[in-house]
Amino acid sequence: MSTTFNRYFGELRKTRIWRSVFRGGTGQSTLRNSMAIQQNVFLHLLPTKVRTRMIDFNATWYLGTLTLGTFGILVITGILLMLYYHPSAPQAYADTKDLQFVVSSGQFLRNLHRWSAHAMVFLVFAHMFRVFYRGAYRPPREFNWVIGVILLLVTLLLSYTGYLLPWDQLAFWAITVGSNIASAVPIMGDKVRFLMLGGHFVNANALLRFYVLHCMILPLAALFFIAIHFWRIRKDGGLYTRHSEPDAVMTTAPAERPL
Amino acid sequence: MTNEKTPDSKASPKSFVAAVASDARKSPVRVAFVTRRTSAQVQAYDEPKLQSFPEVLFRVAIAIEVLAIILVLISLFFNAPLEGLADASHTPNPAKAPWYFLGLQELLHYFPPVVAGVLVPTLVVLALIVIPYFNINVEADGLFTKDRDKRLRIFWAVSVTFCVFLLVFDVIVALVPTLITVALMAYAATATPKSSSKFRRSLAAKPLSFWIMSWFLFELAVLTTVGTLFRGPGWSWVLPWRS
Amino acid sequence: MSLPENLKKFRQKFFGNSVSAFGWTSLILLILLAIAPAKNFFSDWLRYQRGYERLISRRSDAVTLRRHFESGIQQIWLPELGVVDRCTTCHSAMKEATLADVSLQPYRPHPPIPHKLEEFGCVLCHRGQGTATSVEDAHKSTLAWEEPILPAKYLESSCGQCHQRDLQGTPQLNLGRKMLRAYGCVHCHTIKQPDGSVITATDDPPSLTHIADKTSREWVFAWLKDPQAYSTTATMPNFKLSDDDARDISAFLISSSTPASLKLVQSSLDTAKKIKDDATLQTKASSLYGESFCASCHAVQNAAGNLVGGNIGPELTKVGSKVRPEWLQAWVRNPHDYDPATGMPHYRFNDEQVGELTGFLLAKSDADLLANLHLDAATPEQIAHGKRLVNDYGCASCHEINGVKRPENFAPELTKIGSKPVNQLAFAPGVDHNLYSYIGAKIKQPRAFGASLKMPQYTFTPSQVDALTSALLSHNERALTIPAAKTVPALPPSHYEPAGKAGQLIADLNCFSCHAINGRGGDMAPDLTWEGSSVQRDWLLQFFRDPNTLRPALIRRMPKFNLTDAEIATLTDYILTVYQSPKVDRDSMPLTGYPPGQVELGKQLYYSKYGCQSCHIIDTKQDKGYIGPTLTHVGSRLTAAWVYNWMKDPAALRPGTQEPKRNMSDDDARALTAFLMSQRGNEKQEAKR
Repeated sequence: MSTTFNRYFGELRKTRIWRSVFRGGTGQSTLRNSMAIQQNVFLHLLPTKVRTRMIDFNATWYLGTLTLGTFGILVITGILLMLYYHPSAPQAYADTKDLQFVVSSGQFLRNLHRWSAHAMVFLVFAHMFRVFYRGAYRPPREFNWVIGVILLLVTLLLSYTGYLLPWDQLAFWAITVGSNIASAVPIMGDKVRFLMLGGHFVNANALLRFYVLHCMILPLAALFFIAIHFWRIRKDGGLYTRHSEPDAVMTTAPAERPL
Repeated sequence: MTNEKTPDSKASPKSFVAAVASDARKSPVRVAFVTRRTSAQVQAYDEPKLQSFPEVLFRVAIAIEVLAIILVLISLFFNAPLEGLADASHTPNPAKAPWYFLGLQELLHYFPPVVAGVLVPTLVVLALIVIPYFNINVEADGLFTKDRDKRLRIFWAVSVTFCVFLLVFDVIVALVPTLITVALMAYAATATPKSSSKFRRSLAAKPLSFWIMSWFLFELAVLTTVGTLFRGPGWSWVLPWRS
Repeated sequence: MSLPENLKKFRQKFFGNSVSAFGWTSLILLILLAIAPAKNFFSDWLRYQRGYERLISRRSDAVTLRRHFESGIQQIWLPELGVVDRCTTCHSAMKEATLADVSLQPYRPHPPIPHKLEEFGCVLCHRGQGTATSVEDAHKSTLAWEEPILPAKYLESSCGQCHQRDLQGTPQLNLGRKMLRAYGCVHCHTIKQPDGSVITATDDPPSLTHIADKTSREWVFAWLKDPQAYSTTATMPNFKLSDDDARDISAFLISSSTPASLKLVQSSLDTAKKIKDDATLQTKASSLYGESFCASCHAVQNAAGNLVGGNIGPELTKVGSKVRPEWLQAWVRNPHDYDPATGMPHYRFNDEQVGELTGFLLAKSDADLLANLHLDAATPEQIAHGKRLVNDYGCASCHEINGVKRPENFAPELTKIGSKPVNQLAFAPGVDHNLYSYIGAKIKQPRAFGASLKMPQYTFTPSQVDALTSALLSHNERALTIPAAKTVPALPPSHYEPAGKAGQLIADLNCFSCHAINGRGGDMAPDLTWEGSSVQRDWLLQFFRDPNTLRPALIRRMPKFNLTDAEIATLTDYILTVYQSPKVDRDSMPLTGYPPGQVELGKQLYYSKYGCQSCHIIDTKQDKGYIGPTLTHVGSRLTAAWVYNWMKDPAALRPGTQEPKRNMSDDDARALTAFLMSQRGNEKQEAKR
């Protein structure tokens, strides 16, 4: 089946229209495969080649990839949810209810968005610890680790701002508890909290503010840093393996790394 | 078709003339100009490599799809939680933050907000950022393989001080993972890279950064679990299976 | 062994290379993604709509029903009421009267109600979650909606959200509302009506400022321990006090009591003591008790253990074990001396009669009540502790007590109890997690929610508990926010006070305990607001002198107050002059002199066309109507103008009367009036008077 598929797909790639869209060229050659990456504005963030042993599941557990996957799911479901949502109190709650009761598959969309958001936070943490235990943050990847830490914070903020949007008791009090912590910042705590909520307590202003952050500012920030993150993987020598390290590091490394 | 040239072909026109199905070079190599001022310490090791396209991309796509399948299945069977309309005058007891902040909220129960809410998270983020810049883990040496006596002395002093500190604030929840970590470290101190059991050998090889990060992970997991499942009205202890 | 081998082969075939693996996982993902929209097809509401179409297709009027039926999600949207009800999505046959035989839900048509579905929606009365489109979410209590469907037995509470006045169709709600006032719930709990007025109590807890004059410390102790042991009908709830607490409270109450200025007549007291110990004299005294119609207000347990008598005043079965003889004789003489605010009328008994009644009542005692009860003299510590307890239990919310201020808002306000969020309630074990169960359980057994709670234990029947629950459920957020145009506000409380000498008499006789005038007063006896238009002067004079009952089926009757002729004249003149209806001119029709033909016609109408004899009695030998008043003397009692107007529209003269409006012609009404006015009673009886 795959051969048939390949044949037809090969034919498709030879067409003029396809070649006007994708600059990679046709055929199965190594060159063409390289170009498919290099000549694509998105894919060129990735390295052209990857060490064979790094695509093994055990090498990375695909945690970074999966995190990107949840981000993709969240963007798609998030856009669909935005079609049914007014960021105003208490209409936001009624909209959430209507998603459940009236919108076709509305409940499913919300479920997928919610659970993917939890999965993303979890995967980001898992990714971070995995990278640490593998030592993959070492030079020259220091800065990519920092980008990773920023992405962790962006992810937490995305999840936190999204938490308020259903405007139910769970959301309201979770955000109230969270924002109360902000007011503990010395000297300017209350100012920070006011800036965050657009008021002295969680109200319609806070909802609007969180909505803008959740749907506009933070996703753009995430995209920006994800792009840098991927680009740096490529520029810093691909996915980390022991052998991509300077000799100095290697000499004292133990023979086997169980983790 | 054959006359078509890619823009890149200027660099080495000969090799890329036949753009279609060219196998002129089995393995294209990347040419990088590394000047002295470039900080990147890229070092090439020859080992088997795969083209990202299509093999790696397919695998990535499959991985994401499998994840999507799992999430779709979960979403089909479990509904996202929704409670009553937000009401500022009716405080639920307990009012809980999202689960990933419950570790912090648990700390907030013991320490003043400035410590638990500001100091601790700031320190954690700073610590995470500076990890790669302090070569703490670069040498990847076992913690107690060098300067054993001195390090043991420091280790015990720090551990005991910290445990007493936790005891003073009555933070039993955080104390338990700390004690377990300390016990494991003490056990590691008795081992050498030449110990007989594999477990002991691997413990002996763990550097300081490993211990700190593991302790952090352990605390994070325990605090979050406790905050999520074992805390009820008034932040009192409850058992999740008994409502 | 073959299974792993097969698995390996399977894996090799489908997931052997990345392309086919990608293909297959994509296929699985797409199928799963397709399940979500497919699930809609099996949603509750679509299932029920398909079921409804199947149901009507088998019926004879299928075409009409199908034309009425609209598929898809239906919605009643009333922005001003905050109603978004999608109930009619599944309850498709709400307005299909031809489906009345269908008992299968959700297809049962709604029973006839005075309201339109489109104007009020569903959840306004039934509660539940109107926006929901699944069975569970619409009817049950969920995390996101803790207001489940109201069980049918509490449904009347919803009427009470808008209707602040009693409705004929809501007996349970009316009872519950009455109980809120009559059992003194509102002494401790503030309940505001939507118009902002506070519900006031109708019970009259006695003042305890002179308690030591009235009774003994031992009785107070026994009463505190268990009020129902003294009187099963006691309104006072049981506070479940320990012996020590009851001892200390009784000590405080007796010690805080100040003497009242009671008139002691030794001769009365002597008569009383004589009668108390003599059974034959008691029988004689009992006729005075009967003639005075004490039983209209007070009940006494008879030999069979049944209570006989009214419930306006306290039960008297064991009164002899309670009160001091000196107090009782003063009370019978003139209750206002002891308690100026009492509802008990001032009978004009002479000293002999006072002694008789006192002796008769003192004989009604129960030797077991205070047997083996001995209290030592109270210590100052006990009295101080008693005062603390009196404050703790809020005794002064109901009773006036010397040295204790009436506490404000002693118990939680219940103005919004009917919409209190369930998550704010602390449930006792075994109580279902919903509001109505909570309220019911709390009324039934308050102390089950915690031994330290102060709310006392009442003795209510299950139906009384349900009535109270309904009344409380009607006090909710919605009742307070519903647009005023949609509501029927409560009648404003009347502070009517009759003037002059007659006014003093009316106060002294406490007419308002039984009769209502201009919106003030009780509902046991007829409303007297238009009495001046309806009765003849001679009859009224005679009635005051010797009140005889109008309704033979009633036990409670107008008592004889032994008024002087001057007092009677004052009252009669006042009533005839002041209590006139603007609709009836009492002098517009003659009392007598109607042509015999008209009287005869009236008689025929009475017996055949209108069948009045089924409720009223004119011929005492044949007629068996015991529902309405006897009409044998109606011609000498009522004015012709009143009778005529009454025939035309009874409800206009006395709202809420049981007398039906018969839409009779003017001629019929006049003929009936003529006939009734001819009923002047037996000549012999007249002579006797």
